[in-house]
Amino acid sequence: MKTAPFTIKSGGTASWAIRIAIAVVLAGLALWIPTSASNGLIDSCITALTLMACAMALNLLLGYTGQISIGHSAFFGIGAYTTGILVAQYGWSPFQTFAVAFVVAFVVGALVSLPALRIKGVYLALVTLALGLVFPQIIKWPKLEWLTGGARGLDKTGFRFTKDNPTYEIFGWNPWGTLRGENVKPFHYWIAMVIVVIVYLACRGVVKSRAGRSLVAIRDNETAAAVMGVNLAGTKALVFGLSAALCSLPGCLSAIRTGNVTPDSTNLTVAGSITFLIVMVVGGAGSLWGPIVGSVLYVFVTELTGDWSDKQAIPAVLRPLFGWSNTPPGTGIFAVLLIVLMFVAPFGIVGMYRRLQARVVTVVPKPAGTGTIAAPAAAPVEA
Amino acid sequence: MKRGASARLLAALAAGSLLVAACSGDDESTDGTTAETTAETSGGETTVADTGGETTVAETTPEAEGWAVDTEACIDPDAANAPIEGEVKIGSAMPLTGGVAAAAFAPVKGGFEAYIKYANENGLLGDMTVSATIEDDQYNKDLTPGAVSKQIDAGVHLFSGIIGSPNNAAVRDTLNEECIPQLNALTGSPAWGEVEDYPWTTGILVPYTVESKVYAAQLAELYPEGATVALFYVNNEFGQVYADAFKELAADYNLEIVDEQTIEATDAAPPTSQITSIASKAPDVVMAVPLGAGCIGFLTELAAAKAQNAGWAPATFITNTCASSLILGAAGAAADGLYTSGNLKDVTAPANAEDPAVKEYLAYMESQGLSDIAATAAAGWTTAEVTVAIIKQAMESPEGLTRASIINAARNFEYTPMLAREGVVDRMNGAEDPFLAETLQVLQYDFETATFTDVGELITEFETS
Amino acid sequence: MELFLQRLFDGLSQGSVYSLIALGLVIIYRGTGHLNFAQGEMALFCTYVVYQCGEWGLPIGVSVIIGMGVGFALGAATEVTLIRPVAKKSAFAVFIVTLGLFQFLNWLDGAIWSDQPLPNSGVGSNQQSFPSLFPNKPDDFINVFGAAIKLQSIGVFLLVLVLFGLLYLLFNYTKLGLAMNAVASNPESAKLVGIRTNMVLMVSWGLAAAIGALGGVVFAGINSNVNLGLMFTVFIYASAAATLGGFDSPGGAVLGGLIIGVIENMAAGYAEEWVGQELKVGVALVVILVVLLVKPSGLFGTAKVERV
Repeated sequence: MKTAPFTIKSGGTASWAIRIAIAVVLAGLALWIPTSASNGLIDSCITALTLMACAMALNLLLGYTGQISIGHSAFFGIGAYTTGILVAQYGWSPFQTFAVAFVVAFVVGALVSLPALRIKGVYLALVTLALGLVFPQIIKWPKLEWLTGGARGLDKTGFRFTKDNPTYEIFGWNPWGTLRGENVKPFHYWIAMVIVVIVYLACRGVVKSRAGRSLVAIRDNETAAAVMGVNLAGTKALVFGLSAALCSLPGCLSAIRTGNVTPDSTNLTVAGSITFLIVMVVGGAGSLWGPIVGSVLYVFVTELTGDWSDKQAIPAVLRPLFGWSNTPPGTGIFAVLLIVLMFVAPFGIVGMYRRLQARVVTVVPKPAGTGTIAAPAAAPVEA
Repeated sequence: MKRGASARLLAALAAGSLLVAACSGDDESTDGTTAETTAETSGGETTVADTGGETTVAETTPEAEGWAVDTEACIDPDAANAPIEGEVKIGSAMPLTGGVAAAAFAPVKGGFEAYIKYANENGLLGDMTVSATIEDDQYNKDLTPGAVSKQIDAGVHLFSGIIGSPNNAAVRDTLNEECIPQLNALTGSPAWGEVEDYPWTTGILVPYTVESKVYAAQLAELYPEGATVALFYVNNEFGQVYADAFKELAADYNLEIVDEQTIEATDAAPPTSQITSIASKAPDVVMAVPLGAGCIGFLTELAAAKAQNAGWAPATFITNTCASSLILGAAGAAADGLYTSGNLKDVTAPANAEDPAVKEYLAYMESQGLSDIAATAAAGWTTAEVTVAIIKQAMESPEGLTRASIINAARNFEYTPMLAREGVVDRMNGAEDPFLAETLQVLQYDFETATFTDVGELITEFETS
Repeated sequence: MELFLQRLFDGLSQGSVYSLIALGLVIIYRGTGHLNFAQGEMALFCTYVVYQCGEWGLPIGVSVIIGMGVGFALGAATEVTLIRPVAKKSAFAVFIVTLGLFQFLNWLDGAIWSDQPLPNSGVGSNQQSFPSLFPNKPDDFINVFGAAIKLQSIGVFLLVLVLFGLLYLLFNYTKLGLAMNAVASNPESAKLVGIRTNMVLMVSWGLAAAIGALGGVVFAGINSNVNLGLMFTVFIYASAAATLGGFDSPGGAVLGGLIIGVIENMAAGYAEEWVGQELKVGVALVVILVVLLVKPSGLFGTAKVERV
């Protein structure tokens, strides 16, 4: 490694100062948004947080075990439908449904991973693609219509503060009573934030643990990992299940936030899976920060370009570039970005940042065995 | 992509699909009659829906002047009653990207914006101007709240023409709590008639349930002795609402359903195996609920099956989402003789070429460089026209133009859009008639002349007066 | 019995479309060992080009040739500029690039062609519907034991056979084809013996995309329309077909497509209660899964599909 002009010792004062500064800024932002930002920004954040949680869950699987999934929309859907069914059909409080969704998705995910133990690479992608395709069909299956509402979907699956809805209580706090007549967006925002924090901590916990190191070992060399005593089958099934379970949580939020679930909604279909995947890869596969960066960028770009089918809305500089398009160019831009990144930075924006940063700052890791350490901020783990 | 893109709204695509309907008097909502907004008034304590809400009803009973919204339940009642001056801002969320759905709905946006421009140029609102912003929600219900919030921040006074049932459902809580009118939802789900719970939300399409009833009635007329029917429908919310409504009615009209086949909205392949199954049961009638390009595939397959099974010549009913001469033209001879329904004039029909309204519409679209989409943009045009008419009525009300007066105007409204068929009158009347369009004309398509012929009279019975 | 035969014919005619698309997948896989997720969308782009040629008044025969030419150029250019450079990095990168291409092409189609008079339909100002390469009037069919076979289906079926025959000749009797085989089985040695590997890979992709274009046009013709969602589901079935037949076997792809078409139709027709139209895509899933678990190389493939 080239020597960089600056050196930071991991665990040293400078390192902690930087981390605390980042944490303070993020926490400040997280608090400022729901209290002072416009409704539009809060909603954009909820959308970004939803994608973030999905991409993080996917990242756990793909970024750390090298297993490709284009079927995570199914787990998102399991979350949405668990909440939808329990709230709309059985009158549960939406909050109680998160745990159920988590367990259901975990079990389904672990079961799905059984074939994954034997299939690798693009073939696993095919299998998961099929899973993503079949999920909405199962929801629409006439035999399950009594439960899922069939192709119609289910209505009134959120906290709807009307007189004919049952009263929901969370540990004695009645959100309806408190929030009635109030703007519920910050409420949804906080649910999204809590989900993201949980997913982040779960991923971080796994990645920094012994299990996490075996994950990376599996990704990099399965045979060697097996030889060194990593329990392949167990670890893979566990990770797949966990990834599925985490991905179901933003699904629950979707049911609560939009108040309805339908099998054809984008995030429950393969289109959703592909979006999760793109967000994750653009941000940076195999890094905890990747999905965060990717989802924020994705929401920013799609919202920025959302009205660009109207030529006047395109900034003058970019008009020659996009003026000919009949549709907003967000999808196209992200697709191009995705391809370009594969050339210049296979580990996404975060990977690229780390590489650039490494030229300026060297982070000296703590000696091995001293407990919690930050991920080596220098080079990303190359596959 | 596309898949989700189930396009239930394709419905809107077909020009014919706009306004129709059935008021059907919506029995559930009639009992409370007034001040629906009580919804919000009965606090958290209320599991006892029956008492809490209803009692407040008495306070505002504007029997005389018709339905009026109760703004006390709003987050900010003053804002809902604040006069709107200078420019009325209309917001909307439509799929502009996102594959199939986006492409299919693009003309709705074109027509909508064209009419807004037309209204300003012709000074339809006097010294007020009207503007429209249309955000992209990619037909993804998870993006609709964001698209709508952005516009609320930008000071939009009302929403109109949001496409998609889940998409409208995703924002109706917010809009009803904020007390911003959510007019003319471009979906025919019967859910837009819940005056009590969602006083600020109205739809514009003929409820699919009404359309089903119209076809069943027509069938009963064709087959007084009863008939066997095969149902073919697109397997999404749109198709299922139609199919369920039809199945419920079947017995009343002496119709026996002998087969039910579905197709996925995302499945581009023609429904060969479905039609084979249907043909094997040789029903008297095929009632079809396909969408967009699926209409073409269905018709060609059915025509082939008819040719292959000599002696089997079922009457074909197809929903008005397919009732566009462009779609039926693509199906060719296969479309000959089918029954459908509509309540807008077919702007492409030569017979209507001299119709002043059609002429004006086509001329204006041409002046905007939109003649390519003129045939499919009529739905968007009409949606905007109805919206502007509602605003106009609100301006003329004693309260002047406010968000509350807009929804009050919308719910006490009677209007005939310029492109509507002769005799169509769209009405909304508080809780008694929460659906705008409930009038339909049964039509039969003639391949030779590529036109629709009226069958029987305009059906107005569902539109309560 | 007639119904059974009818379902069989329906299945075969649907299956031959899958076969057609699967052939393209197989050619790329043979050459490079990659599954091209953008295969369907590349075909769709070319189909739109054919539609556009039709709008300009060109006869369908000429349009198809232009479309296939565009397909060849698109495929070859993709291989040279996008796939080759990242293929050195990892298979994952190739997968992501094809995925990006998938998204990009679909967006591009919409951006260019979404202002058709009847959007998402292929109905243009000069064309009432997407032209079919084969007779497709309702009474263009022949009767076999009481069941009908459409002339169009026969046409597609023959087209698949002819293509398969040509590919067979290509792979076994031409210098180019033999070179392709050599590159497929061992790129390093192929290079050593003087085969221009790069050239061969480029041609493989071009050929695959050209066949894809033909498949797209045929499928659009069957549907009388072209739309943004045209190729997606077909692509899934074609992948299932290629998996079943063996990813590196053209014959396997053809047979795989037919088998999947028939199974799917039978399942939807005879197991209406449990499978029906709603779950027939599940049949493709089960096929993929079972094949990958039991015989990852498929019915006719050579065993080199990855598995642990």
